[in-house]
Amino acid sequence: MKKLQLNIAWLYPDLMSTYGDRGNVIVLEKRCVWRDIEAHVVPITLETDIKKLRECDLIFMGGAQDRQQKLVGEDFLTKKGPVVKKMVEDNVPALFVCAAYQFVGNYYLPYQGEKIMGAGIFDLHTEHYGDQSKRLIGNVVAKVIEDASIIVGFENHGGYTYLGSKMKPFAKVKIGGGNNGKDGYEGAVYKNSIGSYFHGPLLPKNPHIADWLIEKALEKKYGKTVVLKPLDDGFSSNARTAIMNRLGVLA
Amino acid sequence: MSFLDRVIITNAKTVSTTSTGFGIGAGETWPGELALKLRPQIASYFGKQFTKGVIFVVGTNGKTTTTLMIKKILEAAGNRVIHNATGANLLNGIVSSCIRQTDWKGNLHADYGLFEVDENSLPIILQYITPIRIVILNLFRDQLDRYGEVDVIIEKWQKVLKDVSVQTEVILNSDDPSVAYFGHALDSRVRYFGLNDRKAYLKIAEHATDSAFCPQCGARLTYEGIYYSHIGIWHCEKCNLKRPIPDVHTFPKVLDGLYNQYNTLAAVALAKSLGLKESLMKQALTSFVPAFGRQEEIVVGDKTIKLFLSKNPAGFNASLRTVLELGAKNVFLVLNDRIPDGTDVSWIWDVDFEVLHTVHRVYVAGDRVYDLALRLQYADTKTHVEPELKIGIQKAIDTLPKDQTLFVLATYSAVLDIRKILLGHKIL
Repeated sequence: MKKLQLNIAWLYPDLMSTYGDRGNVIVLEKRCVWRDIEAHVVPITLETDIKKLRECDLIFMGGAQDRQQKLVGEDFLTKKGPVVKKMVEDNVPALFVCAAYQFVGNYYLPYQGEKIMGAGIFDLHTEHYGDQSKRLIGNVVAKVIEDASIIVGFENHGGYTYLGSKMKPFAKVKIGGGNNGKDGYEGAVYKNSIGSYFHGPLLPKNPHIADWLIEKALEKKYGKTVVLKPLDDGFSSNARTAIMNRLGVLA
Repeated sequence: MSFLDRVIITNAKTVSTTSTGFGIGAGETWPGELALKLRPQIASYFGKQFTKGVIFVVGTNGKTTTTLMIKKILEAAGNRVIHNATGANLLNGIVSSCIRQTDWKGNLHADYGLFEVDENSLPIILQYITPIRIVILNLFRDQLDRYGEVDVIIEKWQKVLKDVSVQTEVILNSDDPSVAYFGHALDSRVRYFGLNDRKAYLKIAEHATDSAFCPQCGARLTYEGIYYSHIGIWHCEKCNLKRPIPDVHTFPKVLDGLYNQYNTLAAVALAKSLGLKESLMKQALTSFVPAFGRQEEIVVGDKTIKLFLSKNPAGFNASLRTVLELGAKNVFLVLNDRIPDGTDVSWIWDVDFEVLHTVHRVYVAGDRVYDLALRLQYADTKTHVEPELKIGIQKAIDTLPKDQTLFVLATYSAVLDIRKILLGHKIL
């Protein structure tokens, strides 16, 4: 049988990558390689032709500082964003974390100044209530709605995100703030794509989410269900348990 | 000084003596905190007492080492220097260092106040104390949960440096783009230090870069060579901004590691700005004993342990590079997530641990031991996992061959814990 192969798009690795976002990409790549699936990480940044993006089977985009996000702004809205939107509609799996999660929404409303348009890939919007409002920072534990599995991570965001009618929440918060600190939900799911506020990063400590993305990517590319070989996830499970024990949460 | 000031200082001094004496360990910041509560202006009062002035050292990495080097040089020149040796670098720590050194009348008898200053505290401290020099070392991503984004610090510093007193001269790293750019608003009162060494260029860029974009126009910077992280010989093709020519770029090696060359150059640039001679600096820095946890060597029985405080991606990468250059075969990594370490441990994924796969034995420990073990699993590196630090370090020492060194790379609170285990005390 021919070796399975995936191209993983990493959007703006030099601009949209704060605090360990790279971990998500490392995990996607390694979990393919360890199963003898060929994986290529394709960096997609300002100068990259969108042709390269179209050839990808899985998409990741991470967080950013304000200045960097401004640099990305126009390129994403006019060039890469529309391609990503079409791919997401087409069931290509994607993961958007933190600033990227906000950016793929309809708009972002800052405390001062005008509404900033998003790429409209996800039906959601984000509002920032100013420095005085509570920034959501800390360890988080949540239960994924789809399969009731537990995920852990670390959130650090000032924007509060509200989902539109086309979106489903990704997880129910057990400890932490989640999307907006009010409705008890964290992240969002649309078709095969996930948006999340989880740093930590998300995928290393929650490898079943990585596997779900890989499975969806293979399914879409090869038109059949692929059962992934189990891997030794002892350390990630220990890391998850350790933080849950500390926070006093039961699975 | 008023009678009241004197009473406050004397009382705070008593607090200092007792809290240190009882080994409570809060002796570093407590007296200052107390004195500042009662009289916030006490900081200005101390600031004005130094006959030759106050020097601040700021930056993400290297503050403690650079400050100690400067201290040695100033003392070799016959000055009396007061500095925050314990690394307590908020306003309360600085005031505490002063209180500890006053006589019982509340007077300091010193030529220089030499203080490392926390990134976030620089603006506040500048409101009270006007230094004669500010040394700015570098800016890297560090403890996002505490400091926020690097850009936020840059913005804050730009604001305060713009209005800094004309008596203040600023010493900047020419090779860190955003640090060098502070010089633009400061015209003639600036000196630069940097490295001119093509042989030290990195072959592949490290991941943990923060400021590879032009601080003036935002375009991507071009590097003739990168020394580490985003530190290198840079220029902007769009707006033509470029790395300033450093006034100081060479000095004999004092400590291992490229990052320590920068610390040395910064100390030398500062000393030169005060008119001190290079021969005196060389003499002052021979057989330099590093600060606690900064390449500090601890001997236990017939075994040698070397501590490398490593608290953020740039620092960790620099430590890894240095221990590998020193031929490390046994590496002990510790990750804690207490307040001084930063409570978010995501940053370990920005560290290039992949270089460790050649090391014979890698141990991991600390509050977040499994996070670290997991990171190394994805770097294809086998680890000896030990949740209990004390047991782990003991095992590592026991299995260490006599002629080899155990290199310990650890976050801040972990360094203190290890010192406590091995030496019986955390800092000094």
